[in-house]
Amino acid sequence: MSAPTASLHVDWTRCDGHGLCAELLPSRITRDEWGFPLVAATQVGPDERRAAERAVSLCPALALRLSAS
Amino acid sequence: MTATLPSTSAPDRIWTIGTPRLLAGLEHATRLDHAHHLVTHGGRPDVTLDRLLELLDGARLTGRGGAGFPLAAKLRALHGGHGEVVVNGSESEPASWKDRTLLRRTPHLVLDGALSVAAALGTRSVTVAVHDAAAARSTEAALRERPDARRVKVVRTGGAFVAGEARALVRGLRGGPALPPGRRTPPTEHGALVANAETFAQLAVLLRLGARGYADTGTSAEPGTTLLTVSGAVSRPGVVEVPLGTPLEIVVRAAGAERPQAIVLGGYHGAWLTPGADVAIARNGPGPSVGAGIVLVVDDATCALGELARVSGWLAEQSARQCGPCRFGLPALAADVAAVAHGHPAATAHAARHLSLIAGRGACGHPDGAARFVDTGLTALTDELARHAAGGCGRPVLGQLPIGGTR
Repeated sequence: MSAPTASLHVDWTRCDGHGLCAELLPSRITRDEWGFPLVAATQVGPDERRAAERAVSLCPALALRLSAS
Repeated sequence: MTATLPSTSAPDRIWTIGTPRLLAGLEHATRLDHAHHLVTHGGRPDVTLDRLLELLDGARLTGRGGAGFPLAAKLRALHGGHGEVVVNGSESEPASWKDRTLLRRTPHLVLDGALSVAAALGTRSVTVAVHDAAAARSTEAALRERPDARRVKVVRTGGAFVAGEARALVRGLRGGPALPPGRRTPPTEHGALVANAETFAQLAVLLRLGARGYADTGTSAEPGTTLLTVSGAVSRPGVVEVPLGTPLEIVVRAAGAERPQAIVLGGYHGAWLTPGADVAIARNGPGPSVGAGIVLVVDDATCALGELARVSGWLAEQSARQCGPCRFGLPALAADVAAVAHGHPAATAHAARHLSLIAGRGACGHPDGAARFVDTGLTALTDELARHAAGGCGRPVLGQLPIGGTR
């Protein structure tokens, strides 16, 4: 039985491009030339779940969300 | 912001291809007051919500504000309960005149549609949001001319480009900032049925004709007529009612376009097309959408790349500056387009990179729409790009594509 997947969403009205998410979840998130996150694929598997949750909880702007998909 | 270039003449004339429905009775009248409206269209039919949904499904009526979303789906998303009906007449596209034309000249048709939806929903709350002063005056006069619209409110809106977006509009009407919210929740979740002014007028026509009669014209996929605003380098600019499915080529020729260099379909979130492109007037077909019904002709007297650059700059200014990729990406993209116009060889590659960083990365459709406008422009203007790479096209930028002016 596979664990449920979740997906990453950026609230662009909140994001200020601090870049913490890219450091905490480098496998998924890089930064564009203005510093804003580029999410490679929004689906997060069970192996990356903890890192993704950490990125969400440490976002200074509360702009990153992880939701059931 | 002030316009520094002469804009094209206001498309305040009307004409039709086929039999007019929304514009019926306006051939010889400037404005249909309630008495003339009743003579032309008859009284307002009242229907139950079930019957309304049946009619909307049968006629496949979609929203005329740009997105082309089925009105029946919006109504169903309200989940019954009390709601409010909002007529979006803010018309924030600079090249659109159809909604103000309806409200200025046949306001009762729009009100009929809104009042019938409100009655079917069991609500008395109806708001007409409008930016244009003459349209607001005409609507207010219309409310005094009829007995069933005492509770309808007319609210003047600011007119900024993104403020016309449905969620931004509802936020503004409820005392908040007229900006798109960060989460993509539709207005129906907050109990508001927001639809474009023309959509309500179409509904009023549908209530009288029935689904079958409504489908006498148009295509089976998209029955009925639609309003277009045709302007730019044409001798007959105007608000035009045409059957859906009409070839764009016919509209452009009927508008008196001579030597078109390119056509912009769907406004500044729409697409640039080469003249003669095989495209029909449609919203949900395989080809590009007419969006809010905007057709703009750019002829060979003007520098088309300069026109594109000018509107790209305007689109960057219209960013609500809430979302980084839009706030920084659109000015970067506009600078790229200006550099392309100046013949810088690397500029098209910069534009391609910036385009990939903009679409899908904002709270509303503005970055996506602006990116589509620039992307299709750079694609459609191949010859023009070659001329500019070789030193320029030698033509002035005439401002055939209108930008906001004092809005």
